[in-house]
Amino acid sequence: MCSRRLTHSDRSLTIPARFDQLQRASAFVSEIAAAAGFQGLQLNRIELAVDEACSNIIEHAYAQTPGGEIHIHVHAEPGHRIVITLIDTGEPFDPQAVPVHDPQSCLDDSKVGGLGLFLMRRAMDDVQFEFNVKGVGLGQPKRFNRLTMVKYL
Amino acid sequence: MIASLNVTSQRLENQSVTILRLAGRLDATTISQLERALTDAQLSGDRVIVIDLSDLAYISSSGLRVLLTGRSNARKRGGEVFLCSLRPPVREVFEMVGFTAVFTIFDTLEQAMEAAAAASGG
Repeated sequence: MCSRRLTHSDRSLTIPARFDQLQRASAFVSEIAAAAGFQGLQLNRIELAVDEACSNIIEHAYAQTPGGEIHIHVHAEPGHRIVITLIDTGEPFDPQAVPVHDPQSCLDDSKVGGLGLFLMRRAMDDVQFEFNVKGVGLGQPKRFNRLTMVKYL
Repeated sequence: MIASLNVTSQRLENQSVTILRLAGRLDATTISQLERALTDAQLSGDRVIVIDLSDLAYISSSGLRVLLTGRSNARKRGGEVFLCSLRPPVREVFEMVGFTAVFTIFDTLEQAMEAAAAASGG
């Protein structure tokens, strides 16, 4: 057990919540995921989920208050799983209020909703949203939103 | 390492068909290039747009939305958008959201061009 614990790694990156930072965020997570053993389509799914999650935060959480940041934490257990946590201090949103993507509705209508959220859930094994979390640790914001995504090898 | 998108456009005037070749990544930061190319193709009056994705390495929901809007606009004018040559990571994203049943997708550019010629009446 001890040797396995030693292989775990935790890394963090904070980016400005801007679209021009999306590839930086994806590349950061992809590099860690690849080192943990993810490859090919699995790696693409992780990259896609991070891309969609950051896009949602930029587009919705910080829609009224641009200039915010996204804190990305990656916990990797090589050969087992990766846990990606995204923290923002923007406006919370209700995932239940986002229309569930329906491919049938796209046949005759270009207005498609909930695509990013749908892809995140399909790409990852577990996706959990927490809103208005109260910060308790030193250096933590008073209130933040936390998205946790898990992918198993 | 920041990758980008390259869009090249080719018009086949005798067939009223535009071919768009996408290379790189189609995400929120690069969609404007495809939007411009689609608008140009539609302004040219071409009824059918064939989009060759053989060199597209990555697509996100932003890219999917632009393709869907392009298809919708083309169909309003009695035209069509055909896709071809999806690489596995891109095809998987289409499959995840059920877009393989929404778009007409061909394995090769040749097959797409045959269908485009028939659809454009050329």
